[in-house]
Amino acid sequence: MGILKRFFSRKSTDLRFLQKGKWFAGRGYYSLAGLGIFILLWVAIGYMLFTRPGYEHFSGFLPLPTLNALYHLLLDPDFWRSVYASLRRVVAGIFIALLIGIPLGLLIGFYVKLRLITYTPIQFLRMISPLSWMPIAMLIFHSFEAAIYFLITMATVWPIILNTAHGVTLVNIQWLNMARNQGAKDYQLLSHIVLPASIPYILTSLRLALGVAWIVLVPAEFLGISSGLGYLINDARDTLEYDRLMAVVIAIGIVGFVLDGSIELIQRAFHWG
Amino acid sequence: MRNPLNRRDFIKTLGAGAAAGLCCKPRFSFGGSDETLRIGYLPITDATPLLIAHALGYFAEEGLKVERPRRVRNWSTLSESFMTDKFNLTHMLLPIPVWMRYNSNMPVKVLAWDHTNGSALTVRSDLSIKSFVDLGGKQIAVPYWYSMHNIILQMGLKKVGLTPVIRPQSYKLKSNEVNLFVLPPPDMPVALAGRKIDGYIVAEPFNAMAELKIGAKILRFTGDIWKNHPCCVIVMKEEIINTDPVFTQKTINAVVRAQKWVTGNMAEAAKILSREGEGYLPTSVESLKRVFTGYELSVYGPGAVPQAIHHPEWKISRIGFQPYPYPSATRFIVNEMRQTRMEGDTGFLKTLDPDHVVKDLMDDSFVKKAIMDVGGPSAFGAIDMAHPWKREEVIEL
Repeated sequence: MGILKRFFSRKSTDLRFLQKGKWFAGRGYYSLAGLGIFILLWVAIGYMLFTRPGYEHFSGFLPLPTLNALYHLLLDPDFWRSVYASLRRVVAGIFIALLIGIPLGLLIGFYVKLRLITYTPIQFLRMISPLSWMPIAMLIFHSFEAAIYFLITMATVWPIILNTAHGVTLVNIQWLNMARNQGAKDYQLLSHIVLPASIPYILTSLRLALGVAWIVLVPAEFLGISSGLGYLINDARDTLEYDRLMAVVIAIGIVGFVLDGSIELIQRAFHWG
Repeated sequence: MRNPLNRRDFIKTLGAGAAAGLCCKPRFSFGGSDETLRIGYLPITDATPLLIAHALGYFAEEGLKVERPRRVRNWSTLSESFMTDKFNLTHMLLPIPVWMRYNSNMPVKVLAWDHTNGSALTVRSDLSIKSFVDLGGKQIAVPYWYSMHNIILQMGLKKVGLTPVIRPQSYKLKSNEVNLFVLPPPDMPVALAGRKIDGYIVAEPFNAMAELKIGAKILRFTGDIWKNHPCCVIVMKEEIINTDPVFTQKTINAVVRAQKWVTGNMAEAAKILSREGEGYLPTSVESLKRVFTGYELSVYGPGAVPQAIHHPEWKISRIGFQPYPYPSATRFIVNEMRQTRMEGDTGFLKTLDPDHVVKDLMDDSFVKKAIMDVGGPSAFGAIDMAHPWKREEVIEL
């Protein structure tokens, strides 16, 4: 226990101990270790659960059947159509959420009165499971596709608004005062100081939104559409094919990881201030 | 010139833009002959007539424009999509339109039976449940409170002196009580294999899949309790039927033709619907073959434990496709619904007159004509040719 405590607490907030060029002390080494632990847990818990008598029918949840199913999935053109369909929904939904969330977040962060007025409704709305909006989505939109965009937007707009607003409140007040002394108008402050300074927070909100969007996607694809990763999961459940279900879960994980990683790269480029 | 980024204008434009981009006007008008058929279905064999009519091009042959049927995952989504005009033709469990029309005043009409039989009561194989009597103290799942399955199950339970109750799963059941609850059909086989429930009553293919994949047993086929009972029905909205009877007639013609074709080509239908075939259902052809052709006396008849078929002399099939909505069955269901225990507000059932439902909810004019076009009621095995539109309901546990 003592060793573990020492291992984790040493330099716990500082990444400078990572050494480029040495594999055992680099970032990749720690990532691999994490992945290894994850797979070990999967195997251990999986075998504990699904080798009990009466549970053999669920051995599809184990790593080997899953990898086998994943291999078959990757060769299936339907799968790639589904990846494309789901990605399009996630991207479109988040894009709409950004269009609404960034301006709203900037204004809410910038104008204190607006922040006070919007506080209650936003806290109220963001606690509602986006899936409760499903009947409303169906009433408003005449295509299922639009209803799904709406559900994803409803789920992702709140972290974007809140994080953006939070970023705005952290802008150095002296910059604003200085610009005001030079005669800058509010819109100039917003576009020249507040927006650029908040970009790192907006990107963080984007990463949060991405996670939420995938959570909503599977139930949202209950609706009348004909492809998508959530749709494949629903199909696998309807036919008791748990190896396939797990394979799609892994696929969603990989797609999400890649998306998150690419935003992180952008984030590093913008990490100023 | 005004400041282009005035904050009030900015918010206003933003709101309008979002509204314009997101919202699309809901469709209000039902076009005459240029109406497109939009079919919604659940991935169960109940959807067969609609899917086969599409697969064989019967809708197109009638001169109708039709989109590929769309699959949704639960009854609420299906009925919501239907009520908001995403779909204009769908199948529903018969009690659902009764509840929609008389509890919620939604303008739905039942035009035909979609299929008959096609459901079963499936139980765990390790509990030695041999008949209904053994269900005392057990947990049984139903797909929906407003379902044939719930009605038939409770009829059977009461007949052997058991009391259906709706309680939390932790509740200590008496030996003469049976606890019922709603579970989505795809979760039923899992819950059964995980021993969270002791049995379930539901439409195919979830019984066939449980037989094939987790070794569960079929306690009884529902069609063996109530001979050729209706299960799902074909529903459309009243507005379309009134404004465009020609469209409606063509639609029903295609459905009835499909029902006749399936009756004579069960194995072929299973192949078309399966994932190996045209992919209308995600189910494998093996499971579907079991549904469409798996009613052997050697497997389910006398001598089998549990004995799923008690009435071989009825000469029915595991799933049937007789389209005519016999009024006697409607009356029977409405009467039974009153005595069936359900969650939710069932007050409307008390004053509901079965004869009114027959006249008001059902419209058999289209289906009668369609049946005559494909060779009359005898094409679907109606026996009494003197009164082809009447029958006696046979219910025997």
